[in-house]
Amino acid sequence: MAPAAAEKEKDKSKVHKLSLKGSAKLVAEFFQYSIHTILFQRGVYPAEDFTAVKKYGLNMLVSSDDQVKAYIKKIMSQLDKWMQHGKISKLVIVVTDKDTGEHVERWQFDVQIFNNPKSKKSKSTAAADQENNTPSASNTASPDPSKTEPEIQAEIAALFRQITASVTFLPQLAGDCTFNVLVYADADSDVPVEWGDSDAKEIVNGERVQLRGFSTSSHRVETLVSYRLGE
Amino acid sequence: MASVAVSTPLKSHKGLFSSRTAGGRMPLTPSPRQRANTTTVPVKNSSPFTPERQSGREVSRPSKSVYGGNLSSHFAKSSSRTSHRDSPKSNIARGVATPRKALELGVSDFTLVGTGNTKTPASAKSKKAPLRQKTNKTTLTYAADRFIPNRSNSSAIANVGSGKLDAHDKQRPKSSGTEASTVLSSATDDAIAALEGLSINDDEATSYSRPSPNTVAYQDSLANACGVNLNTRILQFKPAPPESSKPIDLRQQYNRPLKQASSSSAQFRRRIATAPERVLDAPGLIDDYYLNLLDWSSNNQVAIGLERNVYVWSADEGSVSCLLESSPDTYISSVKWSDDGAYVGVGLGSGEVQIWDVAEGMKIRSMFGHDTRVGVMGWNKHILSTGARSGLVYNHDVRIAEHKVAELVSHTSEVCGLEWRSDGAQLATGGNDNLVSIWDARSLAVPKFTKTNHKAAVKALSWCPWNMNLLATGGGSYDRHIHFWNTTSGARVNSIDTGSQVTSLRWSTSYREIVSSSGFPDNSLSIWSYPTLVRNVEIPAHESRVLHSCLSPDGQMLATAAADESLKFWKVFEKKAGAAAGVGASGSSGKAEMAKQMTIR
Repeated sequence: MAPAAAEKEKDKSKVHKLSLKGSAKLVAEFFQYSIHTILFQRGVYPAEDFTAVKKYGLNMLVSSDDQVKAYIKKIMSQLDKWMQHGKISKLVIVVTDKDTGEHVERWQFDVQIFNNPKSKKSKSTAAADQENNTPSASNTASPDPSKTEPEIQAEIAALFRQITASVTFLPQLAGDCTFNVLVYADADSDVPVEWGDSDAKEIVNGERVQLRGFSTSSHRVETLVSYRLGE
Repeated sequence: MASVAVSTPLKSHKGLFSSRTAGGRMPLTPSPRQRANTTTVPVKNSSPFTPERQSGREVSRPSKSVYGGNLSSHFAKSSSRTSHRDSPKSNIARGVATPRKALELGVSDFTLVGTGNTKTPASAKSKKAPLRQKTNKTTLTYAADRFIPNRSNSSAIANVGSGKLDAHDKQRPKSSGTEASTVLSSATDDAIAALEGLSINDDEATSYSRPSPNTVAYQDSLANACGVNLNTRILQFKPAPPESSKPIDLRQQYNRPLKQASSSSAQFRRRIATAPERVLDAPGLIDDYYLNLLDWSSNNQVAIGLERNVYVWSADEGSVSCLLESSPDTYISSVKWSDDGAYVGVGLGSGEVQIWDVAEGMKIRSMFGHDTRVGVMGWNKHILSTGARSGLVYNHDVRIAEHKVAELVSHTSEVCGLEWRSDGAQLATGGNDNLVSIWDARSLAVPKFTKTNHKAAVKALSWCPWNMNLLATGGGSYDRHIHFWNTTSGARVNSIDTGSQVTSLRWSTSYREIVSSSGFPDNSLSIWSYPTLVRNVEIPAHESRVLHSCLSPDGQMLATAAADESLKFWKVFEKKAGAAAGVGASGSSGKAEMAKQMTIR
């Protein structure tokens, strides 16, 4: 029995637990796709500029416009670094009306980093999170807090489905819109010249909807969209 | 007598109060019943009712102060209705009642407005007094918060945050219009001001106050965030995001059919002949994507390079003649008719460029300079641009002895696409280095734009005949895309994924369409509508990849040469019977005139 259990344990460990680094990469990648998705879903760029890419078991729409791609790539290169060092607590995508300069929509991704993924503490938090967010995972009642990659992918896919579905309740964006990417970073993080301090670009008297989140062994991401109420 | 005197003021009142009194026609033919009703009602109505209503409204006003204006109009309507009822009344009773009514109405309305103005502030004041007490209560709760400094720092901040959030919650109803809440919120504002007087940093406080949570969970996370917030900064990626290429209407996007309009537009689509008009053999046609061996002149002659020979097929007569045969150590790598159709430029594998007079059947001149094969050429009046395997593009002035007038350096690999815009102001070149370069004819030192979107060699280039600024470019097998460019701004306007190597592109001169020829795997011709980018038809054209294509001078016929060593003619842009080929004719005559001015030495 005991050796069998040990073997089982061994098997589990083989089931590719994400390291902190890998998890950071996964979250950063998630950010990249969410930026593209929001740009597409909210019509910041024309739909023709986007091509479908298989990711998370979904058809993700990714901009094929060079300038947009380059712009997001530049953001992502820095974001990757920050994520690796655990400097980021929030990523915010703000959609702004070009004519009035008014912020009309704000997508906020809260990042929580579990400092010691091995310890029992993280286990408990992960379990609690599972309770909140992934009924399917909690049903299995797995004692191992670390999720397998497919489970995480499924969580992310569910989140993207929700973002896609959110166009049904979000108000129609009238007029041309542009976007900005904000990052809540630790005060001691290195800041390249392209990045500068900013206000939170909150939406005044906006409506808020909490969306799904997902978690890896070392990160937890929560999603919140706030938008201006239509008059 | 009395009735006349009565009716006039009535009408004027109708006009005054509302258009609904148009229903005043009804009383003109009053039924006896109505009369009975009206006679009974208004008599009671006339004086006692209106004051009652007024008083009722006064009572209700404080709660509905916003709708005061509406109410008065309501009243106007109702009162005017009562006046209708009056009108059919008979005799003295009416005569007495209506003037009184009118008077009352006028007075009552004014008093309505008057009381509205005077009373609302009064009521607000009167209400404020009791509300002040309420504010005392709220401040009391905040006062409780003020004792918090005894607690640990972070919890105090968290509490401040939540307190403020409450304030926000209370502020929100303010917009809904209840006075109580406005006063409340103003009171809470005071409280907040008082709080801000505390030792808490202003900046932090404002940042906390912004999010107003809907859920308890969020409040928790906010509290957590507050703990972190002290040593975080909000950073913005400063460069402005790229402009979107065109305005977007999301509604249109939502309503977009899954199959892009192709099914719906089927009935509007024109018929396109999918069988070739004529098939000719092209034995020895070199199967090389990078060469350009087919061209159709404005004089309706087709030149084709087959290994070492250039043949000219006259489309008018159907006769074929061999124009030239190169020396055995080289081969024909490109042919191009001059605009007037009198001369044909021939590029050779050795890098030599020859110009032949077709009518005379003799070589006029040879131009040297390239040391690698010349795979593509393009005429702009007396300028012949030649692109070579080295990546260099030379402009030759064919009239002068020192023929090389410009060297266009941009490509690092073989140039296989080259097209002058019809007005000669811009030149587009495409190369094996996957670049598209767009040149301004006035400054050829550097390309005006260099586009890196294609992922494979760019051979197919075509300028839009109806929009000078529109250029279509097609990429090779790893790219398979057609990109459309605005060559003034440099922006990419549109793109098509064709699914196969794009070997050539030709715009229709009469339809808003573009035809693309493809190599592996389709070997087909596709006709696309522009700008809808709907594929109107796909013709399985050849057995192996289509290498070259060219349009007839009238723009109706497309000739394609393929690696299966055949030359096929397709009537893809057939004009309707009514529309004469005026454009093509005038164009060729203009070119003929120009030809007289050009002498090649």
